[in-house]
Amino acid sequence: MKLIDLSSVQDVDQHADAFLDELCQMLGFDFASYAATNPISGDVRGYANYPDEWKLHYTKRGLHHVDPTLYNSAKSIAPVDWGRFEHDGKFTKVFRDAHDFGISDRGLTVPIRGPYGDCGLLSVTRNCKPTEWEKLKQEVMGDLQISAVHIHDNVMQTGVLSKALSTPALSSREKEILQWVAVGKSQQDIGDILSISHRTVEVHLRSGREKLGALSTPQAVGRAIGLNLIMPG
Amino acid sequence: MIIIIDELNRHKYTSVLEDMYRLRARVFQDRLGWEVNVQDGKEIDDFDGLQPTHVVCIDDEGDVVGCMRLLQTTGPHMLADVFYSILDGEPPLRSAQVWEATRFCVDTAKLSGGKTRNSISYVTSEVMIGAFEYAQKAGVLDAVAVIDPVMNRVLKRSGNAPYDYLGTAKPMGKVTAMAALMDCSDERIESIREFSDIRHDVFASEEEVRQRRAKRELRKQKDSDQPTGDLHDYFEQQLRDANDAEEVAAVKRLIQAVADQLPGDL
Repeated sequence: MKLIDLSSVQDVDQHADAFLDELCQMLGFDFASYAATNPISGDVRGYANYPDEWKLHYTKRGLHHVDPTLYNSAKSIAPVDWGRFEHDGKFTKVFRDAHDFGISDRGLTVPIRGPYGDCGLLSVTRNCKPTEWEKLKQEVMGDLQISAVHIHDNVMQTGVLSKALSTPALSSREKEILQWVAVGKSQQDIGDILSISHRTVEVHLRSGREKLGALSTPQAVGRAIGLNLIMPG
Repeated sequence: MIIIIDELNRHKYTSVLEDMYRLRARVFQDRLGWEVNVQDGKEIDDFDGLQPTHVVCIDDEGDVVGCMRLLQTTGPHMLADVFYSILDGEPPLRSAQVWEATRFCVDTAKLSGGKTRNSISYVTSEVMIGAFEYAQKAGVLDAVAVIDPVMNRVLKRSGNAPYDYLGTAKPMGKVTAMAALMDCSDERIESIREFSDIRHDVFASEEEVRQRRAKRELRKQKDSDQPTGDLHDYFEQQLRDANDAEEVAAVKRLIQAVADQLPGDL
């Protein structure tokens, strides 16, 4: 996956919409949005690449107060398919209007829980047949998780205080593996060198990447060197 | 049969959840001797307040016989905040694609050995298949599970051996606790299904759960409605001696009151 790396830009606000555009294009969605409440400042941050008329309508009507994709999805640890929501008054209020603006109620929301009680919600939608939707979900769910945690962490870490608090806490294993990557070893080699399974290498590498806010392994190595966590290879 | 219970559907499964908390109290406090908080016979901790997902197994008789609790590792979870001693001072994994499994247990008092439908191994396998298939759908690739050595052996012997462990095992109550890594892969799920010979869709529909739970209610009712032994004879005598409908009703009320005091045994 090649997404805009929000951790390398000066201003997340300026690039978030482009990030969502790319996400839609790459994974095959019509629209995407992200929303989160910062538990420290209490600010609600949100981005969406919906048509401007819909965004305006949504804000004017205060639909975020009743939107089930927001208040219900935050209760789950797994991505929530909007098909799970009861079609009550609140659901109808949001999605009847959405329909008029050409936005489908076929969608899902990926909740990401952060360490400080924060929760970020990445929502995607696509107007398509049920079979197509099921297939798409299966194909892209992993990438959606990666995208969701990336945008969430970067939005949460804007602000000087949060940035200072968020020096990544890498475990010895994570550092050790990144160090071997830095000297050019493959995952298989590293497993052999450390006498651990290939899967163990992978799970720590993935965790290390996410802690460093990196979307790829080379980028994670670069950051880890920059932060003096490992030595240049 | 597996039920996935989260914050969105828990209102439909209130009594199942209560039984699950009771099972956890019997296992973690009574059998394993962990220092857990038990109230009214139910073991509930702070992490249950964080809207986790519960994977619950109910048997053919409608009893809760196994469960597991899942949390994201991106947010607060037990290895980060409670079981950190297992990690030997290292920070925990943090990934949107790794979930943490805790409070994993089966009803060893009710279930038997062997590999039959009502065995420990069968229920363990069903819970695991349910959890892994649910995680897979969520785009999750690995799970880190806090387990004890007995459970570890059960997993190893049922086509479901952890591929590694984090940190080192640490004493916890009467046993030790360890953090096992398991991949949520097709291969693992197939291996568990192969071993346990579970070929069916493990997830229960709402209707199936309702039926099994209703059957269980009925059975409990029947058990407590029919006093046996001396008490039974005494009540029979009282009913025969009753002079009018009012006295019959009074005896019936007494039977009910006694039955309520001695659940299941009357």
